Amino acid sequence: MAAWLVRRLVASMAIVFAVVTITFFVVHLAQGTPCGGERPLPPDVCDRERAVFGYDKPLPVQYVKYLAALLHGKMGYSFGLHRPVADALADAIPNTFILALAALLIDFALGLALGIYQAARAGRFGDVAAGNVALLINSMPVFWLGLVLLLVFAQWLRWFPAGGPHNPILCPRVDSPYCLLDFLWHLTLPALTLGLVGAASTARYQRAAILEVVRQDYVRTARAKGLRERRVLLVHALRNALLPIITLFGLAFPFLFTGAVLIETVFAWPGMGRLAVNAIFQRDYPVVTGAALLTSAMVVLGNLLADALYAVADPRIRVRGGEGGP
Amino acid sequence: MGGAAGLALGVVAALRRRVRATAPGRRFFRHPTAGPGLFVLTFFVTIAIAAPVVAPYPPYYQIDIEHPDHPPSAQFLLGTDPLSRDVWSRVVYGARVSLGIGAVAMLVAVTVGTAVGAVAGYFRRWVDTALMRLVDVGLAMPRIFVLLMAVALWEHIALWVLVLLIGLTGWFGTSRLVRAEVLSLREREFVAAARALGAGAGRVIFRHVLPNAAAPIIVSAALGIGHMMLLEAGLSFLGMGVPSPTPSWGNMIADGWHKMAVAWWSATFPGLAISLVVMALNAVGDALRDALDPRRETV
Amino acid sequence: MPTARPRAGLTCAALACLILVAGCERPVGCTGEYCGTMVIASGGEPDILLPPVSEFSITRDVTDQLFLKLADLGASGNTIGDEDFLPQLAQRWEWDTPTTLVFHLDPRARWQDGQAVTAADVAFTYDAYTDTLVNSSFRSSLRQIAAVTTRDSLTVVFRFRRRYPEMFYDAVYHQRILPAHLLREVPRDQWRSAAFGRAPVGDGPYRFVAWKAGESIELGADSTFFLGRPHLRRVIWRFTPDQQGAVTQLITGDADAVEVLVTPDNVQRARADSALATYPYKGAAYGYVGFNLAAPGDSTKPHPLFGDRDLRRALVMATDRERVLRNVFGDFAKVPPGPLSQLWWIWDPEIRELPYDSGQAARLLTRTGWTDSDGDGIRDKDGRPLAFRLLLPTTSAVRRQYARLLQEQFRIAGVEVQLDEVDFSLYNERARAGRFDALLNVWNTDPTPSSGFPQTWTPAGFGRSNYGRYDNPEVDRLVDQAVASAANRDQARRAWRAAVETLNRDAPGIFLFATSNVAAVHKRIADVTIRPDSWLALLRTWRIPADRLTDRDRVER
Repeated sequence: MAAWLVRRLVASMAIVFAVVTITFFVVHLAQGTPCGGERPLPPDVCDRERAVFGYDKPLPVQYVKYLAALLHGKMGYSFGLHRPVADALADAIPNTFILALAALLIDFALGLALGIYQAARAGRFGDVAAGNVALLINSMPVFWLGLVLLLVFAQWLRWFPAGGPHNPILCPRVDSPYCLLDFLWHLTLPALTLGLVGAASTARYQRAAILEVVRQDYVRTARAKGLRERRVLLVHALRNALLPIITLFGLAFPFLFTGAVLIETVFAWPGMGRLAVNAIFQRDYPVVTGAALLTSAMVVLGNLLADALYAVADPRIRVRGGEGGP
Repeated sequence: MGGAAGLALGVVAALRRRVRATAPGRRFFRHPTAGPGLFVLTFFVTIAIAAPVVAPYPPYYQIDIEHPDHPPSAQFLLGTDPLSRDVWSRVVYGARVSLGIGAVAMLVAVTVGTAVGAVAGYFRRWVDTALMRLVDVGLAMPRIFVLLMAVALWEHIALWVLVLLIGLTGWFGTSRLVRAEVLSLREREFVAAARALGAGAGRVIFRHVLPNAAAPIIVSAALGIGHMMLLEAGLSFLGMGVPSPTPSWGNMIADGWHKMAVAWWSATFPGLAISLVVMALNAVGDALRDALDPRRETV
Repeated sequence: MPTARPRAGLTCAALACLILVAGCERPVGCTGEYCGTMVIASGGEPDILLPPVSEFSITRDVTDQLFLKLADLGASGNTIGDEDFLPQLAQRWEWDTPTTLVFHLDPRARWQDGQAVTAADVAFTYDAYTDTLVNSSFRSSLRQIAAVTTRDSLTVVFRFRRRYPEMFYDAVYHQRILPAHLLREVPRDQWRSAAFGRAPVGDGPYRFVAWKAGESIELGADSTFFLGRPHLRRVIWRFTPDQQGAVTQLITGDADAVEVLVTPDNVQRARADSALATYPYKGAAYGYVGFNLAAPGDSTKPHPLFGDRDLRRALVMATDRERVLRNVFGDFAKVPPGPLSQLWWIWDPEIRELPYDSGQAARLLTRTGWTDSDGDGIRDKDGRPLAFRLLLPTTSAVRRQYARLLQEQFRIAGVEVQLDEVDFSLYNERARAGRFDALLNVWNTDPTPSSGFPQTWTPAGFGRSNYGRYDNPEVDRLVDQAVASAANRDQARRAWRAAVETLNRDAPGIFLFATSNVAAVHKRIADVTIRPDSWLALLRTWRIPADRLTDRDRVER
């Protein structure tokens, strides 16, 4: 198990390294250094950055210096945000992380509930109706759903705020229970949007998994023992049907980032997605490179986590020693 | 619109009758959503192909700019947008663009993905490892990010280049799928027989292995078209997709959403169209999976 | 299981308590007449808070509160002579000779770091504004001032090259006085990126507090301000991706004020909202399509398309400006008869301009060789299609709407237009660098055409506001004549009219709209007076009566 984990860790780092390299060269080929090109950094900043990143040296040297700077936590300077890239990213990542986490929670809670409901009424009207509604929501463009929810719940009903992470005047920082609730209140709509779209596919997987599991012997044994249907489902079948959730957890990261890019734009949520999009529009390439690096790292880490969880949860994989992952 | 619907209905009914004769056909239509899904797809494809006939107005024609935002009525089936263009006509022409982009991008993705997956699965060893590492790297970068970067880095890229890029960023999943299939298929007797008869690697892959792996490829292609369409919609929403005045369902939403409060139809109907088509693709994809996968026969 | 239920019950109780506690906790803070937090929603963000190097109107809104001028425009908006101006930094002034103006500074004026404001600051400011290294857009407006000297620490002398009616206006309106002791050391060519510009120190009614890039700027009232303590304690600008987002913030109550509601829908919504009050005022903005007369990126060569006057004229005549305007603005704008805003006194619908005449436009295009030889609906000549790219920022919904409407107008005329919708800051850079074919631009004008017009439409604005590099010596001459005769209204009017008509014949742009603004401010804010040339100029007199304070207003920090 440990050996497998180490192998995967090394492989993951190699992937991130490859992404950094590709992004670095692509950006440079297209737009040159941050001190030249269309949006050059101011002269005094350039002098400082040149020493660290070697903008006047040949490209391979710049590459090595960039990697070296990365190890020190330096990613360059953003002229659009007027601060070091690393600082801007450090402020943005927790927001995306929290949004993704909240979305995942809603996703799994709703998906599980719906999946159980559908499995319990398998084949009957409730199952079919719920399945179709779920399918429709899963098929919607996530930003469109966000816009509709924003219109209905924020502008018409005024139940939720129209965007942003907090009330900037009353709660610039989360330093009281009131402000925590304010933050959660602002988090609801964006997380709900992301979660809803994912919940539909989670529900489908769950329904299939539960239905497959209940056919198995140990469940029949439990039924034969005279236990109530609900207990049968919840206690026995569920434990084993949870496995697909872990797979989905790993698959969710790329989807979440794509969705986050759009949702953060719709709801003005100050996360990595919006940061990256704004940087791309402003041609703020140091930020773009840094964001590419970090999102890839997060995706890869997410996959790694999912694989590890899967190995832990499913003893069959552990015994086999794994095949190096999917 | 009625004509198109009728045509679609007729096509589906005819198809159903013919296909029901076969076992996979029966399995396909056993899904309650398969028939309606096929109907929706046929409907949209029909109106896309017959756009000049179906649409009452040209898609970029601004009918009466002093009185935009007409609600849906007899004259304007789905209303007019803030630029006084007929929404129904734009939905029809937009079907061409959105479906076209989805289909072409999917074609690119499936072709590249199948090629890579087949080569990796067939030749194994270092070829396999190298290609699969490449796939890992490709999967690590979120697609929308890569596409946005590409559009921003190279100014004024043509639409076909964008479509190509959408396809080129979406083949990774297919390649894994194909690789898995090829890995298992290559051990079968008919492959050994073909090799014994002296067939080269290419011939073996194309004529023997891939046809048997076709089922999951087709299914993933059907599901993948939906993803491509959603991606295009997202890009257009951010302003990086299909340029004005060409209508695509994505940029129709982008054009109309700031007027949602007063004129909801401009952004709602294209969104609904996307949702319906993607939903139909999902339904058909699911049904295809059951229909084409012989292993499911026993369940 | 029997043990599960009480635990669940406990959780519910805890949650309920939390909600109750949270509901009870209210920030108790400021009370009285000098409280209040006003949030202004804005679709654009300042580039740098250093007045000489920024032309954005949003920057001006913020720096108006931070820095003082020597004297400010009065309520009448009269720019001729000095009677209608109000003392600000200067307590009083007199004319030693017809071309020598002496200001006596108010001894109470202080920089926010404690230092006194002196005549040396004024001289330094003039030096900076006219320095070619700083390259300020306002430099050309100060060209009639020969020198600025100090007589003692509170007396400044302006010497002019000649007499003309708007001398005083030129002396006081364009410059915001800067702290010499803080900016002296900053190299002049680095002013555009100076750190001071991101954390300025001024002498105005408000102090700089914080600037979160992309999000907000906060200013706090200076309670010791010598002209009267501002009533609103905090003023915060919140930036949204575009103006429509700003209006949304206003409607949902997250913001208290918006400069321009823009569209008829927004005005209707604001009027229907019982919490908002709307304030119509004369618009100082005009929008136009500006052609680049020089080749993009190479100002020595003419533009392959727009170097041709006939082509430009044809495009102007092919545009149905009235109908397009009604789509976007309804009644809240007018088609200007030239590069004029409704604020300018020279506004005259009788000024001759090119008419909307698609037939004549088509004939003119055909005559200059542009015909549709391949039947694709787009004219071409020598194998090249009549196509160009229109540059505009993504932040303006008005311009995006206009761009799409114009695209269709031009397509009917056989011209293919592709849109370049870019980020606001990128738009400004490209505009200034001349890297565009045509651009959709909007100017917020000065109160008088004497300074704004030459900046944009004469060679004095090359590399600055004259993006299209339009240059007609006849227009320059007429403008000079008009400025010189400003005291004689009729003579000036004739000269201005001749200048605008000459410019219209050259068609350097298509003049699309001149706004009639409607601002919206939350009802609890009283004493709202809006000066058309700078809507927040009188912000320090706005106030929230003590009985109308909300939670937001009472927050101390």
